[in-house]
Amino acid sequence: MSHKDTLLSRAGTSLCTLLITGMVMTGSAFALTNDDCLGCHGDTSMTAEKDGKTISLYVDEATFKETVHAENGCVSCHVEAEVAGDEHPFPMTPVDCSSCHEEIGAIYAKSAHGVAMAKGDALAPQCKDCHSKHDILKPTDPRATTYPLNIPYTCGRCHQEGSAMTATHELNKHNITQNYSMSVHGKGLFESGLIVTAVCSSCHTAHDVQKASVPTSSVNRDNIIHTCNKCHVGIVDKFKKSVHSPLVTKTDKKLPVCIDCHTDHSIGQVHEKDFRLIIAKQCGNCHEHHSETYLETYHGRASMLKGGERTAKCSDCHGSHNIMPAQDPTSTINTANIVKTCSVCHPQANLSFTTYLTHATHNDKENYPYLFYTFWAMTGLLVGTFSFFGLHTILWVPRSLIERLKAMTKGH
Amino acid sequence: MSKTPTMYVERFSVFQRFIHLLIILSFLTLAITGMALKFAMEGWAAMIADWSGGFAVLGALHRFCAVITFFYFFLTMILLYTSWKDSGKSLFGFIFDPEGLVPNLTDLKEMIGTFKWFFGGKRPYYGRWIYWEKFDFMAVFWGIAVIGSSGLALWFPVQFSKYFPGYWLNIATIIHSDEALLAAGFIFTIHFYNTHLRPEKFPLDPVIFVGSISIDELKHERPREYDQLVASGELDKMSTRRAPTAWLARMATVFGIFVVTTGSILVVSIIITMFKYIQGGH
Repeated sequence: MSHKDTLLSRAGTSLCTLLITGMVMTGSAFALTNDDCLGCHGDTSMTAEKDGKTISLYVDEATFKETVHAENGCVSCHVEAEVAGDEHPFPMTPVDCSSCHEEIGAIYAKSAHGVAMAKGDALAPQCKDCHSKHDILKPTDPRATTYPLNIPYTCGRCHQEGSAMTATHELNKHNITQNYSMSVHGKGLFESGLIVTAVCSSCHTAHDVQKASVPTSSVNRDNIIHTCNKCHVGIVDKFKKSVHSPLVTKTDKKLPVCIDCHTDHSIGQVHEKDFRLIIAKQCGNCHEHHSETYLETYHGRASMLKGGERTAKCSDCHGSHNIMPAQDPTSTINTANIVKTCSVCHPQANLSFTTYLTHATHNDKENYPYLFYTFWAMTGLLVGTFSFFGLHTILWVPRSLIERLKAMTKGH
Repeated sequence: MSKTPTMYVERFSVFQRFIHLLIILSFLTLAITGMALKFAMEGWAAMIADWSGGFAVLGALHRFCAVITFFYFFLTMILLYTSWKDSGKSLFGFIFDPEGLVPNLTDLKEMIGTFKWFFGGKRPYYGRWIYWEKFDFMAVFWGIAVIGSSGLALWFPVQFSKYFPGYWLNIATIIHSDEALLAAGFIFTIHFYNTHLRPEKFPLDPVIFVGSISIDELKHERPREYDQLVASGELDKMSTRRAPTAWLARMATVFGIFVVTTGSILVVSIIITMFKYIQGGH
């Protein structure tokens, strides 16, 4: 067993650099230094033909020396290049990053990207597609493809609408890059320049990217609260105590998670028009009756018109993450708190005022008999009046025509 | 046409015409702004809100016109008071004047006569105010009382609920909204037809804007009033050769047709929407 082999077996995957050092120290005949490689690959004009295309084989030494792999020898990745002669086989088998990054390699292999790769999807991304080849920098380096400000561009190369990938794959979500750019997270990134805002990998993870339908996916319904909790800790704390939390409400029915109200890529600023105008619809997905009857009242009607974002929405009265049933003393609509809740918009509101029915409907005789009977009394009045005068008018038309004709013939 | 020059008599004073102008402007605005809220889920309502600048603008216009409504109601009271004083009658005698605005037995007889006339009978011997005109006038009182009081409750809900239960506001909403539907629907169909759109008058009877009508027309339209004026000798005193000035007549036509058209468009939108609901089964 050669010295090199012994070292290899001991070193383990994370200690590749030792290999080089070992080779240099023992003065092995096979030991190739980076200088040896750069003797050819340092020439900017070096090219080769691959799959009918001319590709550059130039490696910029200065750039490489700044990368995370600066201390590595070329042959630690390009293993086949370690041959005695001037020429190594061409083309070589692709670089296998998992020979060092074993754990990540295993995660990637199970991800949507890795599975697609294994199935032979030509557009499936390999390590180099996101991380680049000889320019791999730390994610904290602003020049890195994995730096937060650059991630949407890195992912967007494939996930932008109109790309070769989106054109050939069946996807559940569309226009995700545009929607993200307009979202509160995207604005945080593009407008406010925040590197702490959520980027693609914050929610989807970097290597364990899975479709939302996969139970282990970070963006699966059952895991999304945990994913959002990575940043929105205080909100999730409140939410866990609310009526919508599975810890509080034991039910077979589907309980809402973050994305049910906030949406995903297009997530908006909650105080802004776009979000306020969809609240009744979002709540209505489960609370259909309450949403519909809300829309029959002044608050609901006005919210459908321009400027309607200003009127009271579900969350203005019921709260949002802290939402509780009315009988709970902490509920914003509990008798103990409701005057205060209404007073936000109606100063000097009193308890009698709060008996206004914010989800009233005249179609419910059981619960709102006075509304039901008022409506039908008024409808009777309308039908009666219009029936009489409608008949009066219809009968008048032919007579009036005759009178007009008479007047015309008389006039001449 | 007779060879003698056309003579005119005044039917509406400047003050009366001014009140009607206030009614037109405020009523049309109230109807448009209110119906946009009532039918907010319809495209045409969204269009009204977009054009005006939003529901807050609609609300402000609606309340402003409500104030005008209370103002013209007050002016009408002054008008009635001065008419009473000028008539030299007792209050009871003024209110129940057979030729006054309060409906009476003659109106019932005329109404039956009118239906007979529709089927070929003789045209009734109409006086100064015909029953459908009296209905319009009384409806304004009924309408203002009902829509005005419920509207005030909705305008000042917190103050209202100090004296009444808060859920009465829900009842007030139904009453206000449906009574308004009745009022707008009635004015924009029945009143428009009775007064302007029926073939005898089409497209417009300008008398409410210009004030005077020809004696020929008075004699034909309201024979009882004409005969009364002749009998009392007042016709000679009242009649004048002065026709309404050309610019006034033109203004009346342009404005009147604009208003009738606007109201008609609104009522057609409402009718289409109502049919959609009835078909959809609420």
